[in-house]
Amino acid sequence: MTEQETAGPSNRPEITIKLASTSDEMMQCFMLRAAVFMGEQECPYWEEYDGNDYTASHLILYVDGEPAASIRVRWFAGFAKLERAIILKRYRSYGLFLPFVRWAKEFCRKKGYPKAYLHGQKRLWPIFEKDGFRKVDDKVFHFSDHEYGAFACDLEVGPDAPTVLTDPMVLNRPEDRLDVPGILEESMERGASCPHAGWTERRAS
Amino acid sequence: MSDNTRSIGGQAVTIKLAMKMEDSLQAFAIRAACFIGEQDVPYSEEFDGHDFGATHVIAYLGDEPVGTVRLRWFQSFAMPERLAVMKRFRGNDIGQLLIDRCARIAESRGSRMLYTQALPQDIKYWERHGWRRLDAEDTGKGPKRVVAMVRPVDPSKPLPETEAPESVTLRKEPQIDSSGLPVGDRA
Repeated sequence: MTEQETAGPSNRPEITIKLASTSDEMMQCFMLRAAVFMGEQECPYWEEYDGNDYTASHLILYVDGEPAASIRVRWFAGFAKLERAIILKRYRSYGLFLPFVRWAKEFCRKKGYPKAYLHGQKRLWPIFEKDGFRKVDDKVFHFSDHEYGAFACDLEVGPDAPTVLTDPMVLNRPEDRLDVPGILEESMERGASCPHAGWTERRAS
Repeated sequence: MSDNTRSIGGQAVTIKLAMKMEDSLQAFAIRAACFIGEQDVPYSEEFDGHDFGATHVIAYLGDEPVGTVRLRWFQSFAMPERLAVMKRFRGNDIGQLLIDRCARIAESRGSRMLYTQALPQDIKYWERHGWRRLDAEDTGKGPKRVVAMVRPVDPSKPLPETEAPESVTLRKEPQIDSSGLPVGDRA
């Protein structure tokens, strides 16, 4: 599911989406948000970096290798919350938003989340509705100078969604590549030498 | 050195050096807002590989990071660059506070010259603050044109001609490859 490329004619930009998994990729997400929210929308630093960045998953989209868009996903019981979704100004005419949101929903669905939830800025409501999101109630609330409504979209969780009975080594895989063997599966070739067994036995005796 | 205190709306502007990861992120976020967000500079040009060999100076209004400058170190000079102040706090001389702090750090390390590369439209600004331009042999063309400028770290001690010649050759800093080694001029 990761490194999804829309291979088109050679003059089309190459679009890549992945879960940010290194500090460089996290930094790219943070800087794109600074460019859009602090630079364009004058959001104060401490509202933008609100303390939830290190409890979240960050998704990043590249256009020809250049960081272009990001979404933050937070995990609640029963639903995943999409937030801080931005596209850098120069890439806004590329039609990236819906494909990116769909990728994010697919990411949540494959993790077994039956619902995606978001706070949509009022001006963007038609776009979210077009993508299958419905308002959860009639409330309109505001923070950081914008008006929002809460939206949710049901996701069809398949029989392969992870549970406690899923193959443990599948749960160990990188979360945007649950269907591909991960690095810990490679480590299984080394066998189990149980390097600390002796140490634990000494403490027990 | 000029007066080192400023306040906006009764709140003092404070300057500090980035010491922790969070500090550096604040410096980077201000640059992303100003250069990527406002001026449409690509991410890969803004974060060019020199950020982890440099000193980052940050200006705060209360808790809010509002300005930053990156100071790079060379054998015969210190180089302030990527000076950025958040749009709504401009016009309060925060840029000069940041440059003054650069001069003081440079002085404490025994450096006598500050060097920077300015955009043509900013030359007057720098000249007002005690900088003078060096005639560069190659300043690039069009929007990428930059002008080399210097000022003494201590304004009362003019730079000797040997250290700040009238002209210099501007070369593009070599790009850094993934192992951190310069890959040479790609021009």
